[in-house]
Amino acid sequence: MNKILFFAHLRDEAGEESVMLEASGKTVAELKAFVAENYGIHKLDTAMAAINEEFAPNEEMIKEGDVIAFIPPVSGG
Amino acid sequence: MSDRYSRQTLFPRIGREGQDKIKSKHVLIVGAGALGSGNAEVLARAGIGRLTIIDRDYVEESNLQRQQLYTEEDVAEKLPKAAAAKMRLEKINSEVEIEALIGDATPEVMAGLIGDVDLMIDSTDNFETRMAINDISQKYRIPWIYGACVASFGMSFTIVPGVTPCLNCLLKAVPLQGLTCDTGGIIGPAVQMVIAHQTAEALKILVEDFDAVRPSLVSFDLWRNDYTSMKMSRAKDPGCLSCGQNPEYPYLNEANRMKTAVLCGRDTVQIRPPHASTVDLQEMSGNLSALGYEVKGNPYLLSAEMSENRFVIFRDGRALIHGTKDVAQAKSLYQRLFG
Repeated sequence: MNKILFFAHLRDEAGEESVMLEASGKTVAELKAFVAENYGIHKLDTAMAAINEEFAPNEEMIKEGDVIAFIPPVSGG
Repeated sequence: MSDRYSRQTLFPRIGREGQDKIKSKHVLIVGAGALGSGNAEVLARAGIGRLTIIDRDYVEESNLQRQQLYTEEDVAEKLPKAAAAKMRLEKINSEVEIEALIGDATPEVMAGLIGDVDLMIDSTDNFETRMAINDISQKYRIPWIYGACVASFGMSFTIVPGVTPCLNCLLKAVPLQGLTCDTGGIIGPAVQMVIAHQTAEALKILVEDFDAVRPSLVSFDLWRNDYTSMKMSRAKDPGCLSCGQNPEYPYLNEANRMKTAVLCGRDTVQIRPPHASTVDLQEMSGNLSALGYEVKGNPYLLSAEMSENRFVIFRDGRALIHGTKDVAQAKSLYQRLFG
């Protein structure tokens, strides 16, 4: 199982701080698409992803037990 | 040296030597809104030698809640932010040489400013300008510090050419429809927390303590009590068009920029994002209504109106900003609302 964490407005959209799901074997991009569809998140494709607190590119493969965080880049200033 | 900086020079990582370095440096602050005000004030008080500040807006009442350099008089006089900032900063520290530029921070304008600039601090409200800062940073080998906030959330990342990944490595493209302070709201402490991170990084770079520069992207949510660091050791993309082996600096290129056109005789500016996208009109309608806009729409477009602001936005991101022929003003409204 994998823990998926949401940050900033993604958390409001998902309605939860984190979810547990089976993501091992998926790439980051595949997980983004899956989560966007199943948790009603609009702009996940532009969010940055971290695996175990380290930046992970879209093609990175997720392993069993990895903790994935989605952090949206924000633009206000 | 006078007593003015004694508490800062007592801090051993700065010391007298560091203070002399700070005094000899030139910082470009892009944007003079909430982050720009705070970053400029901290650096002016710290004894920076020169500050160049560029901003295209004037001071409005809704800025006063968080933009620390401005006053009610600035609002009454509708002073351009760069001009109001310069006046206030000169009262804070008359030793600092301050150049205030009122206008759009286009890649050409910024490239013309960076001659002897040692560091750029991002205080903008949009990713188009940030990507241009990023390309200028890579092309001219000048570090910059990304900072942004919305609601109670904020983030910062320091980009040192040749050392860290760049913003284009992380984002690959300009994210459209990011939440902005005008659509998601913002609280003062989130601004201050970003400023604290940006200016701490700035001081490290100005005293040339590069080993101390934060290697991670920090993000936090002050309302939800989160503080997260994302390590960036594997983020550098060797094929990155901004910082990779064969850089093309795509965001200095006209084709990747927002297109604007003044529609003659209609008192309207048309704005077209560089790449077509699909705007979620329903969500946008909710955001605009929450801001007090009167919104009407159909499946193809939304029209929104509040006092003197009147515009139409289409599903592909194209917008018509009515009631103005001023491109900078129209772009400012567009980017404040749509990121």
